[in-house]
Formats: sequence, structure tokens, C-alpha cells
Amino acid sequence: MAELALTDISKSFGDTQVLSGISLDIADGEFVSLVGPSGCGKSTLLRIIAGLETQGAGSVTIAGQDVSATRAADRNLSMVFQSYALYPHLSVGENIAVPLRMRRLTAAQRLPILGRALPGARARNAEIAAAVQEAARVLEIDALLDRKPGQLSGGQRQRVALGRALVREPAAFLLDEPLSNLDAKLRVQTRAEIAQLHRRLGATVIYVTHDQGEAMTMSDRIAVMMDGRILQCAAPGVVYDDPDDIRVAEFIGSPKINILPIEISAGRVRLMEHDLGGAHRVADQPARMGLRPEALRLAGADAPLAGHVVHAENLGAELYAQLVLEGLETRVTLRAEPRERTRLTIGARVELGFDPAHAVYFDAQGQRMRFGLTPARQPAMAG
Amino acid sequence: MADAAAHPPARALRARESRQRRTAWALAAPALALMVLILLVPVGVAGALSFTDYSLGNPGFDWVGTENYEKLFTRSTYARMFTATFTYVLTVVPLSVALGLGAALLINSLTHLRELYKTIYFLPVMATLIAMAIAWEFMLHPSIGVINQTLAKGCGTWLEALWPWLAGHCAEGMPLWLGDKRYAIWVIAFVGVWQGFGFNMVLYLAGLTSVHRELYHAAEMDGAKSAWERFRLVTWPALGPTTVFVVTISCIRAFQVFDTIEAFYPIGAGPGKTAYVMMYAIYEKGIEQNLIGIGAAITMLFLVFVMMITVVQRWLVERKVHY
Amino acid sequence: MTRDWWKHLILILGAIIVIAPFYTMVSYSLKSPGEIDRGEGGFFGRQEIMVDEQCVKLRDPNRDEVEAAALRFPGQSQNAIREALLEEARAECSSRPVVFNYTQAFTQAPLLRYLLNGVIVTVSIFLIQIVVALPAAYALAKLRFWGREAVFGLVLFCLLIPVHAIALPLYIMLAKLGFTNTYAALVIPWTISVFGIFLMRQFFMTVPDDLIDAARMDGMSEFAIVWRVMLPTAIPALLAFAIFSVVAHWNDYFWPRIVVTGNRDLFTPPLGLREFKGGGDGNMFGPMMASATVIVLPLIVAFLLAQRRFIEGITLSGMK
Repeated sequence: MAELALTDISKSFGDTQVLSGISLDIADGEFVSLVGPSGCGKSTLLRIIAGLETQGAGSVTIAGQDVSATRAADRNLSMVFQSYALYPHLSVGENIAVPLRMRRLTAAQRLPILGRALPGARARNAEIAAAVQEAARVLEIDALLDRKPGQLSGGQRQRVALGRALVREPAAFLLDEPLSNLDAKLRVQTRAEIAQLHRRLGATVIYVTHDQGEAMTMSDRIAVMMDGRILQCAAPGVVYDDPDDIRVAEFIGSPKINILPIEISAGRVRLMEHDLGGAHRVADQPARMGLRPEALRLAGADAPLAGHVVHAENLGAELYAQLVLEGLETRVTLRAEPRERTRLTIGARVELGFDPAHAVYFDAQGQRMRFGLTPARQPAMAG
Repeated sequence: MADAAAHPPARALRARESRQRRTAWALAAPALALMVLILLVPVGVAGALSFTDYSLGNPGFDWVGTENYEKLFTRSTYARMFTATFTYVLTVVPLSVALGLGAALLINSLTHLRELYKTIYFLPVMATLIAMAIAWEFMLHPSIGVINQTLAKGCGTWLEALWPWLAGHCAEGMPLWLGDKRYAIWVIAFVGVWQGFGFNMVLYLAGLTSVHRELYHAAEMDGAKSAWERFRLVTWPALGPTTVFVVTISCIRAFQVFDTIEAFYPIGAGPGKTAYVMMYAIYEKGIEQNLIGIGAAITMLFLVFVMMITVVQRWLVERKVHY
Repeated sequence: MTRDWWKHLILILGAIIVIAPFYTMVSYSLKSPGEIDRGEGGFFGRQEIMVDEQCVKLRDPNRDEVEAAALRFPGQSQNAIREALLEEARAECSSRPVVFNYTQAFTQAPLLRYLLNGVIVTVSIFLIQIVVALPAAYALAKLRFWGREAVFGLVLFCLLIPVHAIALPLYIMLAKLGFTNTYAALVIPWTISVFGIFLMRQFFMTVPDDLIDAARMDGMSEFAIVWRVMLPTAIPALLAFAIFSVVAHWNDYFWPRIVVTGNRDLFTPPLGLREFKGGGDGNMFGPMMASATVIVLPLIVAFLLAQRRFIEGITLSGMK
């Protein structure tokens, strides 16, 4: 296992700039997710790290060595592909053995039949067989070793692909959307297993996904990518609670964060006519405020926001209601307790309150504005 | 009756079903009848005639038992027939498959001019073989043919030192090619390869498009560094089904070779009958010499070969079904 | 591109060998006999006016012709008139080699007739194949009836039998029926295309049942469904099959060779070409290659115009 560093990586396909100036340091044993919408360049970045794609500029360093000019096969990385990319003609055991056979056996020793008779081949083959057994045992696929990939379910194939990555000890594991072809239930189960596996092996992992839920649950750090840039790279909690950019705030979290327009003038922050508090030394400007669904509360008559319920989803443990706000005509999502459902019938008018300190503020360009909010003249949080 | 009256729908359903069955059979009937008359009956007829001494025009015939088959396996003419046929098949099939695969791999790895090469290599597949055979005959003409004229230019140069074969022919005259016992069947096989490899190439190109790209990346990550290793690990196994098919169809076509031989040798199937392949034998014995019994016996043997090839093919396909 | 130079080198060498006979064929069809003999003149030949000695010999004036021509050459001796007439004949028998070769190709043998026969035979074969195969394929793919599996099994078995292989018994049967030397003999063995049935069945399997049920709701009979619903949906597959069928039968030599003997009116292009070869002396190389070019050309041109479809059609058998 080793640490990894990306410095100023850029890449373009023809006229389209796919990656621009990506820098990222990944510590030994760290689990980092690259997350972003499709087309944000995350897969390209992973392939550049793997060496399957050549960067236009910048360098990739693994364990302190610049590998920019090193081909993929020599970078000592393991990769799990989205389609699993199992060799269809080889059995599960043979599939898992391939990386070891390619590296530990000479070309002559790999020859069918004849190769086994060569000096040293027997011991090496036994070694490889043991390693395959061990990997299969860890992933609980020992019973499948003689099957062909075509005979396996999606989940089993996924494990074989993991096994093939796991069987040797690479500098890092690269996982490219490994769960996207699984059904929802299996996905939740497998992501827990991958996280456990990571803890047990202490391996460096770079995990690409478009699913922010996967990234949040598994990673030590999340790098949120958009339009070929890393907008923020931080621990899941930080990215969620303290986003640097409105796009990060909007991408992370489900249901999505509520964005409301605010006005900053004369050092005061206003939402419609309501004063939310004072912001010192902030220029006058139109701005936006992000409020997580759980930051909104049902409140009494003097609350800053009011709206009509247009849709409600009772998930049992919690209830999400969508409301159209009066005066703004935007939709917001509210997380409520199921016991509050009597107030949240479709069409009902409800008042909403929140603590302005729990909101995040962005300027017109979407950059985070961090300022100490002094208390409002009249409390916004009521009820 | 009462029962039927109580359940008219059941009866109507049965009537509908039988009507549909009649329609289905009516639709399939012409094809079925022709299949039996044109394909199955002749096989039976050939089978029966192969045990007779029938000749067209004769009022009757005698059963001669397995005499025709015994002749096939004892007479030297037929020994020559088997030699010629298998020499041709065993040359043309591996070469046209290998060249087809090689061309497909090369073309597939290119970014430019792919379509052009594909078009050129496919031309012989389209062209009327007998016309092209005549063109080859001109090129192979011992005196005015372009091949010998080109070879003759090498005489007296350093090529002679490098290539003993050329030196030999410079001394004793250029080869007669089609007129020479030593070369005839190989030249015919060459024309067979020339005509057939483009077809295999196209099938392989189609097979290559279905190889999953990520498999190559996986192979690279797994440490397959050389092109050969990636070919062994990914390409060749993925082309397995294509190869089975290509080999089968090349075999069946090679067994059926006739046009080139008839074009080169209107009578006699080459010097010393070195190009006396099975189709030619069927034609010569059965049609020209009216020895229908022996022609039918060769026909039956021919069918056995073709069926064996197809059975092997289907077995291989079944075996790989879990791909 | 520069990294791939060795690939291009190999492929170009291959292409030269592949094209060589086409080059020879077309080049010979343009050259004079002398140029062919001596191997000169490049691709097009020098196209010098040449005299067809055979034509001149045929027009060698006899006494009557000389006397008849006396009016046109008043006051000249018999010999002088004869010379003048010969000179005229020479002039009329002179032409450029291209013109000579191609005129000879069409006049020495009824090449147009052969081409027409080729069209008649290939088109009839294809149409009958469709008329026979399409309903059967529909029944096998979309109708449930007792015996369907058996019929399909038979189709699969018949796929194993190449028609060329059973040419001898077919020939005997047709001879017994008195069909040799007829168009019928050229067409009958190919009327059933087991491969066509198989292919169309596979194609029809992918057509949604809803389409057929909708047609039934509209009151169409099963026969009408075959021709008015299934046929239009199958056009792409049929086109590919048409190319497969036409190419195979335009180029077929073996079967016509067996059932057509002597009757030139029934010759297909390959048979005509072979006859040309059998009868030709050294001077006829040019015209022979001209006929070969004429016979090969239609398919090649069609191929170059619609390559993708052709490759698809010819390799159809590979798509099982």
C-alpha cells in the first residue's frame, strides 16, 4: 500500500476540456471517492491514475515515484471495472489468478500444459492457487471457483472482479462504479462489505461513483467533481455540512438541499422581508441560501416562511413534504416526523421556521460566503 | 350434445385452434414439400443408386452391393481424388482462416484507410470465380504471364544467391505452374485462398467489434504487457465462436471446389490428375461418363464429410454455450 | 499513422496481390493481341489502330464483286480494283483494340443473351425463394401448431445439405422429367432456400406479437399478414438475403454446367465465358477478358455502391 499524489492533471479530448488542473493527495490507506454527475471527468481521472489514459499535462505520483511515463501494467495498481471485465472463457479461479500468472510466471511457464513442466513452475503455480483460494475465501466465493462468469449472478461477478483486484498486493485499488450494475438492495449490502474490507486490509482505495450515497457511506474523504474540476475534497460530514460551493451543496444530500434567494444589504441578510441577521463587512449583493430539509421546522404563525403542501412522502421513520412557498413560488423539501403528518396533508398551509446559523450562504457565483451571523432583530426561529 | 350446447365456447375454441393449425400447415406446406423433394429425396436417391450400376438411358439396373464403395477405396484414381481433395482443403482452410484473421487484426488496429482495405480484400469474394480463374491463368502463363516475367527479372541479380529456388528455375526455365505436376494443386489452392480469405476477414472484423473494450484495459491492469499476451488473453478467446464458424464454412466451401479446376483444365483435372477433387470426380464420373453408381457413391461420401464437419461445429458451439 | 507504417506496408502488398488478377483482366480487355503477347503497353495499351486479319480475309473480294465494283473505279485494271477493294476492307476492319475487344465480346458470342439469362435466372430464383420461404418462416416463428418442432428440426437438418453436393441425383431426377436444357432446370434446385427460412424465422422471432395481433384485430387473414405486415418489416433482412442469393447464383458455374449442355440460348454468363475460353485461340485473349470484365462488372459496381449492405448480405450466414 502506498500514498498517491496528483499534480495539476489536465486532459482534453479534441476541443473539449475534460479535466483542468486537478491536484489531489491521497494518504496511505485512505479511502477517497471521486463523485460527480456523469461527464464530470471522474472516470477519466481514474483511468489517468491507472495509466489507461494519458494526461495532457500534470503528473501522477505513486509512493513518491512519478509514474506519468509508466504504463498501466507497471504501476502496480488493481482496478475493478464497471462492467467487471471478467474473461468470459476462464473460470472464476482462473480469472482471479490472471494478475498473478501474468506477473509471477514467465511467458514460457504460462504455456498451456507444457508450461507446467518447466522448472519452478510447480511451486509458483501452487503459490498462486493458494493466493486465489485465500482471496476467494475472503469474498466467500470459494464455492464458485470452477464456474464460468456467464453462469454467475451480477453480485457474484462483482465479487469475482473484486477478487481479481484483491489477489495481489497493489499500491492502491481503483474502483470504477463497481456497484452501478447491482440492484438496490445488493448495492447497500456490498458497499458495507467493501468498506469493511478496506478497514481490514488498510488499503489505499480510489472509488469513482455518481451516487453520493455510496461516497458518503464508504469514504474517508470525498472529492466532488464537476466540469473537470475538484470543487471540494473533504470528509463526508464536512462536504455535507460545510460545502464550499453551491454545486457541492446541491449534489450532496438526498433529498436535495433547498436553495432560496436572499438579499444582503447594509450589513443585513434578508429572506424576502425577514431579517435573518447581521453580516459584517459583506458587500451588498443578491445571494442564495442553502437549507437542508432537516433544518426546516414546522413553526407557528409568525415564522419567516409559509407555503402549501403539494406532495408528501411518508417513509415510515421520517416524512418528506414538498411545499410551494408563498411569495417565492419555489419548491422546498421539509423533513418532518411522521407524527406531524396530520398537519402536512396535501393542500394544507403550514408555516416554516429555521435557524439561520444552520443555513449556508453563497454569493451570486455560487461561492460559499462565510461570515459570522449576528442574531436577528426579531427571532426567525419561532414556534 | 347437451354438453356441447352448454359449453359452446369450448367447441368454438377447438374449431379456432384447428383452423389455425390448418393455416399454419398451409403456409409451411410449399416449403416443406420442396425441402423433401429437392433436398431429402435426392439424398435417398443417391444413397440407393450408389449400390447400383445405373446409367442414364438404360432401361434397368442391377444391384451391385458395395462394389462402388470398394472401388472408391481401392482404385488409384480415387486415392488421387482423396489426396487432391484433402491437400486442397488442408491448405486452403488454415491459410484462408489465418490470413483472414491477420488482415482483420491489422485493419482493426488502424485508424486510417480501414474501409479501403476492407473493400479491396472483399472484391474476390464478389467476383465471378470462373472469370477470375481465367485471369489467374493468364498471369500464370509460362511465357506471357506476368508472374514468370517478374520472376525472370530476378535472374542474374543478387536475388538468385538469396533464393535457391529462383536460381534453379533461372537455369532450367521458369515453372509451368498449372502444367506442372509439382505445382498444380498448390496453385489451385493459392487461388482458393485468394478468393476466400476476404470473406473470413469480414467475419473476423464483425467478431472483433463485439470484443468488450474494457477487457483489454483489464488485461493491461492485470499485467498483460505485450500485444501477444493481450491477444491470447482477450482477443483469441473472444473470437472463439467466430473461428469455429469460419473454419466450418471454409471447410465446406473448400470441399466444394470445382470452378477453378474446370477453368484451368477443361479436361482431365490437371497434370497427372493432381487436381482431381471430389466435386470434379462427381461431375466426371456421374455426368460426363454416365457412371451414376460410382458418382452417387462419391456424393454419399461427400455428404458424410460435410455432415461430420457440421456435427463437430455444433458440438463445439454447444460446449461453449456458457460463455 | 506513422507508427502504423509496417501494417500499411503489409496490407498494401496484400492488396496488390488481391487486385492483380482484376488488373490483368481489365488491362487485357483493353490491349491488342500483340501487346498481350509481348507484355507491353502498360495498363491501357497504346491503342494503335489494329487490323483484324480475320475480318479482312472474310471480305476478300471474289471475281463478281470485283466486276460489280468496276463502275466505282472506271478505267482501272482488275487487279487495281481488287487492291482498292482490299484496302477498303482493311479500313473497315480496323479499329482501336478496346473497341475491337468489346465488339468481339458481344458479337462472337451472344453475350447480351447470356447476361439476360443471368438476370432471368437469378431474379426468378430469388423471387421463388421468397414466396416459398416467407410463409414457412412466419408459420415457424409466430404460429403455434402441432408438428412445428418437427418441421423446424427438418429445416435444421436440411441446412447440412449443400445443393451442389447432391447435384448428381438432382440432375438424374430432372433428366427423367425431361427438364434438362430448360430454364426450369436452372431454377428448380434453388427454389427452396433452407437458409432463407432459417434466417427469416430468426428475424420474425424478433417482431413483436402485438403487431400481428393488431393486424388480426383489423381483420387480416394469416396470408394477408405474411405479405402485408411481415414482408414490410422484413425488408432489411430481405435485402441482405437478396444480395446473398443473387451473388451466389450469378456467379454459380457448377450447376448450369451440369444441366445446360449445348443450348447456347440458355447459357448463363459463367457458362458463356467458359465456352469463349474453350473456342478461343491466342488472338481472342482480349475479347475473352472483355467478356469476363462485362460479366464481373455488374456485381462489382453494385458492391462498390453499397458496400455495407453487400458485406452484410454475403456474410449473412455468419450472423446466426
